Amino acid sequence: MGRDQGKLTPAESPSPRSGLRRRASRFFARHPGARVGAQIGAPGGWLLVVYIGSLTALIVTALYRLADDPTGLVTKLDTTIGFANFDRLISEPVYRNVALRTLQAAATVTIIDAIIAFPVAFFMGKVATPRTRRALVVAVTLPLWAGYLVKGYAWRSLLDPGGGALKQVLGHTPGFGYASSILVLAYLWFPFMVIPLFSGFERLPTSLLEASTDLGAKAGRTMRSVVLPQIVPSLVAGSIFTFSLTLGDFYMNRIVGGTTEFIGNVVYRQFSVDLPFAAAYAVVPIVIMVGYLLAVRRTGALDEL
Amino acid sequence: MGTMDPANSTPAVTIRDVTKRFGSVAAVDGVSLAIAPGEFFSLLGPSGSGKTTMLRMIAGFELPTSGRIELDGRDVTQSPPFDRDVNTVFQDYALFPHMNVMRNVEYGLRMKRVPKDERRTRAAHALATVRLEQFGDRKPDQLSGGQRQRVALARALVNEPKVLLLDEPLGALDLKLREEMQSELARIQRDVGITFIFVTHDQGEALTLSSRVAVFNHGRIEQVGTPREIYETPGSAFVAGFVGSASVIEGAAARALVGDDGPYSIRPERVTILAAETASSDANTIRANGQVTDVQYHGDGTRVQLQLEAGASMLAEVPNVGDQTSLPERGAKVTVGFRRSDMLSLHHAGAEPDQARAHVSRTHESGETP
Amino acid sequence: MNRFLRWGALGAIAVFVFAACGSSSGSAAKKKPTSGKTTGGSVSILAWPGYAENGSTSKDVNWVTPFETESGCKASVKTFGTSDEAFQLFNTGQYDVVSASGDSSLRSVANGDAAVIDTAKVTTYGELAPFLKSKPWNSVDGKVYGVPHGWGANLLMYNDAAVTPAPDSWSVVFEATSPYKGKVTAYDSPIYIADAALYLSKTKPELKITNPYALDDTQFAAAVALLKQQKPNIGEYWSDYLKEQEGFTKSSLVLGTTWQVITNGVQADTASPKVTAIIPKEGSTAWSDSWMVSTKSKNVDCAYKWINWITSAKVQAQVAEYFGEAPANLSACTLTTTKDFCTTFHADDKTFYGQLAYWTTPTTKCLDGRTNVQCKAYKDWTAAWDEIKGS
Repeated sequence: MGRDQGKLTPAESPSPRSGLRRRASRFFARHPGARVGAQIGAPGGWLLVVYIGSLTALIVTALYRLADDPTGLVTKLDTTIGFANFDRLISEPVYRNVALRTLQAAATVTIIDAIIAFPVAFFMGKVATPRTRRALVVAVTLPLWAGYLVKGYAWRSLLDPGGGALKQVLGHTPGFGYASSILVLAYLWFPFMVIPLFSGFERLPTSLLEASTDLGAKAGRTMRSVVLPQIVPSLVAGSIFTFSLTLGDFYMNRIVGGTTEFIGNVVYRQFSVDLPFAAAYAVVPIVIMVGYLLAVRRTGALDEL
Repeated sequence: MGTMDPANSTPAVTIRDVTKRFGSVAAVDGVSLAIAPGEFFSLLGPSGSGKTTMLRMIAGFELPTSGRIELDGRDVTQSPPFDRDVNTVFQDYALFPHMNVMRNVEYGLRMKRVPKDERRTRAAHALATVRLEQFGDRKPDQLSGGQRQRVALARALVNEPKVLLLDEPLGALDLKLREEMQSELARIQRDVGITFIFVTHDQGEALTLSSRVAVFNHGRIEQVGTPREIYETPGSAFVAGFVGSASVIEGAAARALVGDDGPYSIRPERVTILAAETASSDANTIRANGQVTDVQYHGDGTRVQLQLEAGASMLAEVPNVGDQTSLPERGAKVTVGFRRSDMLSLHHAGAEPDQARAHVSRTHESGETP
Repeated sequence: MNRFLRWGALGAIAVFVFAACGSSSGSAAKKKPTSGKTTGGSVSILAWPGYAENGSTSKDVNWVTPFETESGCKASVKTFGTSDEAFQLFNTGQYDVVSASGDSSLRSVANGDAAVIDTAKVTTYGELAPFLKSKPWNSVDGKVYGVPHGWGANLLMYNDAAVTPAPDSWSVVFEATSPYKGKVTAYDSPIYIADAALYLSKTKPELKITNPYALDDTQFAAAVALLKQQKPNIGEYWSDYLKEQEGFTKSSLVLGTTWQVITNGVQADTASPKVTAIIPKEGSTAWSDSWMVSTKSKNVDCAYKWINWITSAKVQAQVAEYFGEAPANLSACTLTTTKDFCTTFHADDKTFYGQLAYWTTPTTKCLDGRTNVQCKAYKDWTAAWDEIKGS
């Protein structure tokens, strides 16, 4: 290879293509700004068009409404900008209740995941031997390789009140309902909580824990005064995942939620009947998430992502 | 600050036949020590020699596999760290990043439920001791390495422990700062009078600061003594080689030069290069011929490595004063001379006499690996 | 680790997207590569699952490919899960024909999506049962918009062992006193409000409900209140009929509204408990589906060819037997593999047919002829369904 290289240099075998390449290289070498632009241009454009574009379309649609129609059958868009859909969201208690229920579910799932993930991640990051640690990382992330529906229907057959595995083995099952939705969502998003926590614990110097005990703190006090404040950014980073994923989920309700409805279920139903209203309701979780991200920005959790 | 005689009072720390095994490896192997109150005691040794493990057992971060540890006469072998009247200054300082300097220093007092006012006073005093009284409001990441080091010291000292444990506390500092902190440490230890147990791999540091030094090798103590004893009468080839530099002469070479098999060690600065091949040995002075194999410039002196005709290799140090043209060149034939009394007999050579055959350079930092 | 997290985040988004896709997987396009000669254009068919089978569900169930061979029209099929979905998809104008139920047909007409049918071009039109033609759900102002396909009742199915005594009324699904709390199912669509209204028309005559699809404010409020009261009884609502079938097979559900095809499925499963489907004494709602042609269709010729094909006696026998419904073309009754198929499904039973309340799209103009009040339109029904299900 090394011997042949001399023969293959562009200088010795000029071709229009390599000349162009050289000119391009020279241009980019002299204009670092253009280089960066070319590198991020394509993905950036994609992001702008597909992501920002669809978001804008959603928000604009939310400001439209269905045209007035004496028969109640015609579904034509009235593109007058207005807040009628949002008025309806606020004035009709059911939409507030569903939104609050979704919010509550997101908070509950996040808390459950945090409580379970904290000791697991602590063990992984601070106690386990490197070998056990690797095994646990694999074990914790393994369910991510199975599909959402696969896991959902597996849980459905576990929870089935008409003779599912839980009923047969434990004699009791929460059946299909809100509790089961929470349970399965907490299961689904658990890796997204445990991994940021684990990496937080891994980065936390053991000497801090030793210093704390050395200065007279017992385990509980060390957890509260030293570990927890240090791990909060990781905890918040994990919660961004568990919270937003739950907030946007609706299909698990169809699989194990019984008659439970979240924002997504209503959006899905209204989508084909009253598109602007569905769009307006879909803006709600986005607003909640933006608010949440703004609120946690100061904790430094966003640097964890 | 004189060394107290351990026999006269209860030792601050007593270690009785302590062994610590990690799996099949004995990190600390049958160590016994008595450290008197008020001592500045150093645990010196190369990386992996067991000195840090020993310190962590005194702190309570590790439990011995066997043996017994007493603090002030009380058996603490199985006590958790928070039940021991010792505090530690960590190599990485281990300051709590989310607390400001004042809260860091107060931490130990808060754990002991010291009232707030007293806490403030004592913490401020501790910060004054390390000359950081103006830095209470800063966060650790707003401080320099040396300042963090002093906060860590203040945080430990404020608790007025019986014993302060320092785990290579100056290891992360650059040379200049390290020298400053060495005298700072010595001053503080004099002022507070607390027993310091100081772990280091830097023999210069150990010799400078300590009242006594224990030299560790392979989990065992090779020698315990004052810096002067350690340096001038090393108990083993390992100690002779590790603490400062020394040439070890034994076997046929020793027979030719001294008259018996040895082993003996000699410090390079005690070896003189003579101008010419002059007189032979007499009762007090030994002279030997050899060839220069290497010449190393060391700033304050130049080290000349020789291969003696008698069959041993020897280091000689020539102080860099005055005319440098007299230095021999590599390959030159020279005669060296030294006093018979500077040939130190290594009566009970350490476990690994062969280790000392090589000339060990002044510091071991380059070889330090975790 | 940061990198790992970033991938984790991507994974999360992917999961999210798949979840969203999963929701419509039941209605994914089932395009079949062209087979046979396709000299004469194409037709794009929007159909309930089971209405336009091209062999992709089961290799032996295929009457689309023979259509392609015979007509020379290339046919693509997309299925939908609910009438709302059907309406929305047909509204896009990308489909030439749709098998519309009564709860979407009038919306398609009102939105100008459905074209008036030229019955002269429907060669089978004469063979179709007269009582299915020019009905409120497939005609407007005397103009025909839909060619009848088939019909069936929304029956009450129950688990023989679990539900005793055997019910003869819808009361066991609606009333708060139902002993089957948590094991009842109901159809997951705003049109199910009509089931409550039908029940109320018999149990609360003072409401004067004559047509469950024509409800004024008071009547509507009463029906919605009944469904809210019913909600704690419901274990799961169903819109995917396989889901209901699974519920009865595994006994997590023991009674509720059903279609004959689902009952057939449960009864065919030997591991499943015995079930019975009845029309309770209050009567039943029902559906009667019609084929409609899009106003935006550029393949009108092939669209009519398809309608002629699917309503022909031979194909009607296949579809009706496969799906479990009464065929619109009564000539099919002689061609079914099961001898008394049409008797079972009361295909020719005008009286039976008359007892049922067929899905019709509710409009502000009351379908029962009242002019002194405004009735609730489908949009209100959807909002009310949000309120019932979200409560």
